[in-house]
Amino acid sequence: MVCSAHQSFPAAAISTIDGMADAELKQKVEELIAANPVLLFMKGVPEAPRCGFSMRVVQVLDSMDVEYGAIDVLPALQPLREVTTEISDWQTFPQLYVKGELLGGADIVEEMFDSGELAEALGVEQPEAAVAAPAAPAQSPPLRIE
Amino acid sequence: MIEAALPGAKVEVADETGTGDHLRATVSAPQFEGLSRLDQHRLVKAAVKERFDDGAIHALSLKTAPS
Repeated sequence: MVCSAHQSFPAAAISTIDGMADAELKQKVEELIAANPVLLFMKGVPEAPRCGFSMRVVQVLDSMDVEYGAIDVLPALQPLREVTTEISDWQTFPQLYVKGELLGGADIVEEMFDSGELAEALGVEQPEAAVAAPAAPAQSPPLRIE
Repeated sequence: MIEAALPGAKVEVADETGTGDHLRATVSAPQFEGLSRLDQHRLVKAAVKERFDDGAIHALSLKTAPS
Protein backbone atom coordinates (compact mmCIF):
# COMPACT_ATOMS: atom_id res chain seq x y z
CA MET A 1 0.00 0.00 0.00
CA VAL A 2 1.15 3.51 -0.70
CA CYS A 3 1.72 5.52 2.42
CA SER A 4 -0.60 8.44 2.75
CA ALA A 5 1.04 11.82 2.88
CA HIS A 6 -0.09 14.40 5.30
CA GLN A 7 0.93 17.91 5.87
CA SER A 8 0.89 19.49 9.28
CA PHE A 9 0.63 23.18 9.58
CA PRO A 10 3.65 24.45 11.50
CA ALA A 11 3.22 25.64 15.06
CA ALA A 12 4.10 29.15 13.94
CA ALA A 13 0.94 29.30 11.86
CA ILE A 14 -1.06 28.32 14.91
CA SER A 15 0.50 30.97 17.13
CA THR A 16 -0.55 33.53 14.56
CA ILE A 17 -4.03 32.06 14.73
CA ASP A 18 -3.85 32.32 18.51
CA GLY A 19 -3.45 36.07 18.47
CA MET A 20 -6.22 36.71 15.97
CA ALA A 21 -9.49 38.42 16.69
CA ASP A 22 -12.52 36.15 16.37
CA ALA A 23 -13.65 37.41 12.98
CA GLU A 24 -10.14 37.08 11.59
CA LEU A 25 -9.77 33.60 13.04
CA LYS A 26 -13.09 32.53 11.59
CA GLN A 27 -12.05 33.78 8.17
CA LYS A 28 -8.71 31.98 8.44
CA VAL A 29 -10.42 28.72 9.39
CA GLU A 30 -12.90 29.05 6.52
CA GLU A 31 -9.99 29.64 4.13
CA LEU A 32 -8.17 26.55 5.41
CA ILE A 33 -11.31 24.42 5.06
CA ALA A 34 -11.83 25.69 1.51
CA ALA A 35 -8.17 25.22 0.54
CA ASN A 36 -7.79 21.65 1.88
CA PRO A 37 -10.07 18.99 0.38
CA VAL A 38 -9.33 16.81 3.42
CA LEU A 39 -8.62 18.72 6.60
CA LEU A 40 -8.39 17.41 10.14
CA PHE A 41 -8.63 19.59 13.21
CA MET A 42 -7.02 17.54 15.95
CA LYS A 43 -5.35 17.64 19.34
CA GLY A 44 -1.64 17.23 18.69
CA VAL A 45 -0.11 16.39 15.32
CA PRO A 46 -0.51 13.23 13.21
CA GLU A 47 2.93 12.01 14.34
CA ALA A 48 2.00 12.55 17.99
CA PRO A 49 -1.73 12.83 18.65
CA ARG A 50 -2.48 14.07 22.16
CA CYS A 51 -5.96 12.64 22.45
CA GLY A 52 -7.29 9.14 21.81
CA PHE A 53 -10.10 10.35 19.60
CA SER A 54 -7.71 12.34 17.41
CA MET A 55 -5.43 9.33 17.21
CA ARG A 56 -8.29 7.16 15.97
CA VAL A 57 -9.05 9.52 13.09
CA VAL A 58 -5.35 9.75 12.18
CA GLN A 59 -5.19 5.95 12.10
CA VAL A 60 -8.20 5.77 9.80
CA LEU A 61 -6.80 8.41 7.44
CA ASP A 62 -3.34 6.83 7.45
CA SER A 63 -4.85 3.49 6.46
CA MET A 64 -6.28 5.12 3.34
CA ASP A 65 -4.39 6.45 0.37
CA VAL A 66 -5.28 10.05 0.99
CA GLU A 67 -3.48 13.32 1.53
CA TYR A 68 -4.75 15.49 4.31
CA GLY A 69 -3.96 18.67 6.13
CA ALA A 70 -3.88 18.61 9.92
CA ILE A 71 -4.26 21.48 12.34
CA ASP A 72 -3.32 21.19 15.98
CA VAL A 73 -6.11 22.92 17.90
CA LEU A 74 -4.43 22.81 21.33
CA PRO A 75 -2.60 26.15 21.07
CA ALA A 76 -5.91 27.93 20.49
CA LEU A 77 -8.47 25.45 21.76
CA GLN A 78 -11.19 27.76 23.06
CA PRO A 79 -11.16 30.29 20.20
CA LEU A 80 -11.19 27.46 17.65
CA ARG A 81 -14.04 25.77 19.50
CA GLU A 82 -16.05 28.99 19.23
CA VAL A 83 -15.26 29.30 15.54
CA THR A 84 -16.21 25.72 14.64
CA THR A 85 -19.40 26.11 16.67
CA GLU A 86 -20.29 29.06 14.46
CA ILE A 87 -19.22 27.41 11.21
CA SER A 88 -20.47 23.84 11.77
CA ASP A 89 -22.38 23.77 15.07
CA TRP A 90 -19.76 21.32 16.40
CA GLN A 91 -17.81 21.94 19.59
CA THR A 92 -15.53 18.96 20.03
CA PHE A 93 -12.30 17.90 18.36
CA PRO A 94 -11.24 16.06 16.25
CA GLN A 95 -13.26 17.32 13.29
CA LEU A 96 -12.75 16.00 9.79
CA TYR A 97 -13.71 18.22 6.85
CA VAL A 98 -13.98 16.76 3.38
CA LYS A 99 -14.51 19.06 0.41
CA GLY A 100 -15.49 21.91 2.70
CA GLU A 101 -18.07 19.97 4.71
CA LEU A 102 -17.83 18.67 8.25
CA LEU A 103 -17.99 14.88 8.07
CA GLY A 104 -17.84 14.30 11.81
CA GLY A 105 -15.73 13.50 14.82
CA ALA A 106 -14.01 10.20 15.64
CA ASP A 107 -17.20 8.15 16.12
CA ILE A 108 -18.79 9.18 12.83
CA VAL A 109 -15.53 8.93 10.90
CA GLU A 110 -14.98 5.38 12.16
CA GLU A 111 -18.56 4.39 11.44
CA MET A 112 -18.26 5.78 7.91
CA PHE A 113 -14.93 4.05 7.47
CA ASP A 114 -16.38 0.68 8.48
CA SER A 115 -19.34 1.08 6.15
CA GLY A 116 -17.20 2.22 3.20
CA GLU A 117 -18.89 5.65 3.11
CA LEU A 118 -15.65 7.37 4.05
CA ALA A 119 -13.74 5.85 1.12
CA GLU A 120 -16.60 6.97 -1.11
CA ALA A 121 -16.54 10.52 0.29
CA LEU A 122 -12.76 10.68 -0.16
CA GLY A 123 -12.90 9.12 -3.62
CA VAL A 124 -10.44 6.34 -2.73
CA GLU A 125 -10.56 2.56 -2.59
CA GLN A 126 -11.64 0.98 0.67
CA PRO A 127 -8.48 -0.59 2.15
CA GLU A 128 -8.70 -4.40 2.16
CA ALA A 129 -7.81 -4.66 5.85
CA ALA A 130 -11.02 -2.83 6.78
CA VAL A 131 -13.13 -5.30 4.84
CA ALA A 132 -11.32 -8.28 6.34
CA ALA A 133 -11.34 -7.01 9.93
CA PRO A 134 -14.98 -7.78 10.89
CA ALA A 135 -14.48 -11.40 9.79
CA ALA A 136 -11.55 -11.90 12.17
CA PRO A 137 -13.45 -13.05 15.29
CA ALA A 138 -15.13 -15.80 13.27
CA GLN A 139 -11.71 -17.26 12.52
CA SER A 140 -10.90 -18.02 16.14
CA PRO A 141 -10.75 -21.75 16.79
CA PRO A 142 -13.96 -23.34 18.03
CA LEU A 143 -14.17 -24.01 21.75
CA ARG A 144 -13.35 -27.56 22.68
CA ILE A 145 -15.01 -29.29 25.51
CA GLU A 146 -12.68 -31.75 27.14
CA MET B 1 -30.89 13.08 30.63
CA ILE B 2 -30.80 11.78 27.09
CA GLU B 3 -34.11 10.00 27.58
CA ALA B 4 -35.67 13.17 28.98
CA ALA B 5 -34.56 15.20 25.96
CA LEU B 6 -35.52 12.52 23.45
CA PRO B 7 -38.71 10.83 24.67
CA GLY B 8 -38.89 7.23 23.51
CA ALA B 9 -35.13 6.94 23.09
CA LYS B 10 -33.29 3.78 24.03
CA VAL B 11 -29.97 4.56 25.66
CA GLU B 12 -27.17 2.26 26.70
CA VAL B 13 -24.23 3.81 28.47
CA ALA B 14 -20.95 2.12 29.24
CA ASP B 15 -18.22 3.48 31.46
CA GLU B 16 -15.10 3.17 29.31
CA THR B 17 -12.44 3.74 31.93
CA GLY B 18 -14.16 2.92 35.22
CA THR B 19 -13.86 6.55 36.28
CA GLY B 20 -17.35 7.53 35.20
CA ASP B 21 -16.24 10.45 33.06
CA HIS B 22 -15.32 8.69 29.81
CA LEU B 23 -18.56 7.23 28.55
CA ARG B 24 -19.74 5.32 25.54
CA ALA B 25 -23.40 5.65 24.66
CA THR B 26 -25.51 3.88 22.09
CA VAL B 27 -28.68 5.81 21.44
CA SER B 28 -31.60 4.91 19.25
CA ALA B 29 -34.46 7.36 19.09
CA PRO B 30 -37.51 7.94 16.90
CA GLN B 31 -36.44 11.62 16.64
CA PHE B 32 -33.36 10.57 14.61
CA GLU B 33 -35.45 9.46 11.63
CA GLY B 34 -34.37 11.40 8.56
CA LEU B 35 -31.48 13.14 10.31
CA SER B 36 -27.83 12.92 9.31
CA ARG B 37 -25.44 11.30 11.78
CA LEU B 38 -24.12 14.78 12.53
CA ASP B 39 -27.58 16.00 13.52
CA GLN B 40 -28.26 12.86 15.55
CA HIS B 41 -25.05 13.46 17.50
CA ARG B 42 -25.89 17.15 17.89
CA LEU B 43 -29.19 16.25 19.56
CA VAL B 44 -27.54 13.89 22.04
CA LYS B 45 -24.69 16.27 22.81
CA ALA B 46 -27.14 19.10 23.41
CA ALA B 47 -28.98 16.86 25.87
CA VAL B 48 -25.86 16.19 27.93
CA LYS B 49 -24.20 19.58 27.48
CA GLU B 50 -24.65 20.50 31.16
CA ARG B 51 -22.62 17.49 32.26
CA PHE B 52 -19.79 18.49 29.95
CA ASP B 53 -19.96 22.07 31.16
CA ASP B 54 -19.80 21.08 34.83
CA GLY B 55 -16.95 18.67 34.12
CA ALA B 56 -18.81 15.48 35.10
CA ILE B 57 -18.14 14.03 31.63
CA HIS B 58 -14.86 14.49 29.80
CA ALA B 59 -15.46 12.30 26.80
CA LEU B 60 -18.48 10.68 25.22
CA SER B 61 -18.34 8.19 22.39
CA LEU B 62 -21.59 8.02 20.50
CA LYS B 63 -23.29 5.62 18.21
CA THR B 64 -26.73 6.70 17.11
CA ALA B 65 -29.49 5.23 14.99
CA PRO B 66 -33.15 5.97 14.32
CA SER B 67 -35.55 3.61 16.07
